[in-house]
Amino acid sequence: MEAEIVQFVAGEESGSSSARLPLGPVIAVLAAVLVIAIVLAITCGAVRIPLESIEACFLHSRPLAPDQRTILLDVRLPRIVAAAMVGASLSVAGLLFQGLFRNPLADPYVIGSSGGAVLGASVGMVLLPQVSWMGFSAIALLAFAGSVATIAIVYILARVGGTTQVVTLLLAGFAVSTMLSYSSYFVEILDRDYGMGLRVLASWLHGSIGVPRWTQVGVVGLLLLIALPASAVLARRLNTLALGDEYAQQLGVKVESVRIAIIIVGSLFAAVAVSLGGLIGFVGLIVPHLARLVMGPDHLRLLPATALTGAAFLVLTDTLARTVMAPSELPVGILMALIGGPFFLYLLRRTKRGYGA
Amino acid sequence: MSAFLTFEDVSFSFAQGKVLDRASFSLAQGSCTALIGPNGGGKTTLLRIAAGLLTPTSGRVLLGNQPLVSLRRLEIAHEVALVPQQLEVPFSFTVEQIVEQGRTPYLSLLGGLKAQDRCAIERAMELTDVTSLRHRVYHELSGGERQRVKIALGLAQEPKLLLLDEPTQNLDFGRQMDLINLIRSLHSEGIYIFAAMHDLTLIPGTFSSVVLISPFERLRQGSPEEILKSDLLERAFRCPPPRPSTLQHGVSTPSEFAL
Repeated sequence: MEAEIVQFVAGEESGSSSARLPLGPVIAVLAAVLVIAIVLAITCGAVRIPLESIEACFLHSRPLAPDQRTILLDVRLPRIVAAAMVGASLSVAGLLFQGLFRNPLADPYVIGSSGGAVLGASVGMVLLPQVSWMGFSAIALLAFAGSVATIAIVYILARVGGTTQVVTLLLAGFAVSTMLSYSSYFVEILDRDYGMGLRVLASWLHGSIGVPRWTQVGVVGLLLLIALPASAVLARRLNTLALGDEYAQQLGVKVESVRIAIIIVGSLFAAVAVSLGGLIGFVGLIVPHLARLVMGPDHLRLLPATALTGAAFLVLTDTLARTVMAPSELPVGILMALIGGPFFLYLLRRTKRGYGA
Repeated sequence: MSAFLTFEDVSFSFAQGKVLDRASFSLAQGSCTALIGPNGGGKTTLLRIAAGLLTPTSGRVLLGNQPLVSLRRLEIAHEVALVPQQLEVPFSFTVEQIVEQGRTPYLSLLGGLKAQDRCAIERAMELTDVTSLRHRVYHELSGGERQRVKIALGLAQEPKLLLLDEPTQNLDFGRQMDLINLIRSLHSEGIYIFAAMHDLTLIPGTFSSVVLISPFERLRQGSPEEILKSDLLERAFRCPPPRPSTLQHGVSTPSEFAL
């Protein structure tokens, strides 16, 4: 799936000579890193599945042992694919919002999707704990709905006289998101099985990919297949929007429509990630930042690099999360904060170039 | 010569009050016109209306003989480019990446830059002498360099009319002269110029026409000799203009400053 996007973008990118690094080789290297990360993730875990038996299974159609087969196909592989998709989604959402807000500190939850997701998830946990649809629990679905609804509300609130000010959007997002995530407390009080619900919610808040069903993986994959090419169109617009709204308008960009499109697509990415993995911080902040250091600020070049790096990064972190304290498991969000936080600070100190205004 | 851009009784009000009151003037084809007036007098607003970014509250603006409001944004962008006072760019976009954005009105939603776009970009950078800066990061440039990059961005649009908002603002007198020379050379390349100017001493010898707007006076248009008169300027700016003789100008203004 990512390979298609890469081709799609690389094809139209060829006209630009402003490359710091040629796009093709960088993408090839990143794709290779992703493959290695996935192979590593397949072999590692509480039950070790040696590479040779997988190779034998695929190349010589020598069947795996039944327990290995179950672990591989029903547990490990869907989780790895989900991790890759969550990583790519969060990173691309981060890239889109950083471009829209013209600020490298924006993250995928910046306009409030996390608050709505928390409230949605707690409602699901307390009222509909047993309900599920296509493999998605009510918790995941309500988190998705909550984050989309919040963004719609924030956008309507921030819209004054036919336009939205970016700062208003940011502040409204912060306020609504904080309000909603604290109001989830009242829902939790309703929970008769108080301690249990809280623990499930906590694991979800800390970000944990768990073991998704293949139907979930398929639905999310389909959504990304639509959203990633759409982001390529938006990425070019983001380069023009970097000149400021008024200049972009002068150049014929329909600023308000582009902004709505970016909010919809970016929020879709964030909501998709939330529905599979809960709240995972830092990926959406670090990955675009890292990609920008290597590729420069052109969003069209950054898009495939960001998607691939994000996917590989989360696959590796998630593998670490489920192996480092095996057989018990660390929520990947916690590990991400522990690894990602210091790494981000290191990048921040190392970046000699400022970000300008 | 026929008019390229015409303002007919154009008024404009913000919520805070009226900025332009029945402004009428026209820019002839091939003209190089300065726009002067006191701060807050509506120079920037007037330029934004001329670029089609603001719609007049009343009156109309004609591009050639077509009303500006009847034209699509892209059609205007092929004719008129506005170089704003401020252009802040986040992230480390290079000069070339920024100038490339000037081609946006010519690109399809997915199409890349074509040979003809490349040509326009190279020419814009050459005319403004920023070719050597192409790989430099925009927000690390000096004020004078940024000013030239902004103009290159406007030129990449290949407009007939270039609107400049205070192009010499915050520049030292050496860079100011560089910029005036750039305006002259652009004009000699056949680009029409309409520039809001702060420093009146830079106008004679470069601009062939001057538009004066002021909240205290009706709009006037004329040659520099007609407009740059101390009694007129004193009424428009509510202050006697400084005498150029006291400024020790060693600049090459061919005609005497007629104050």
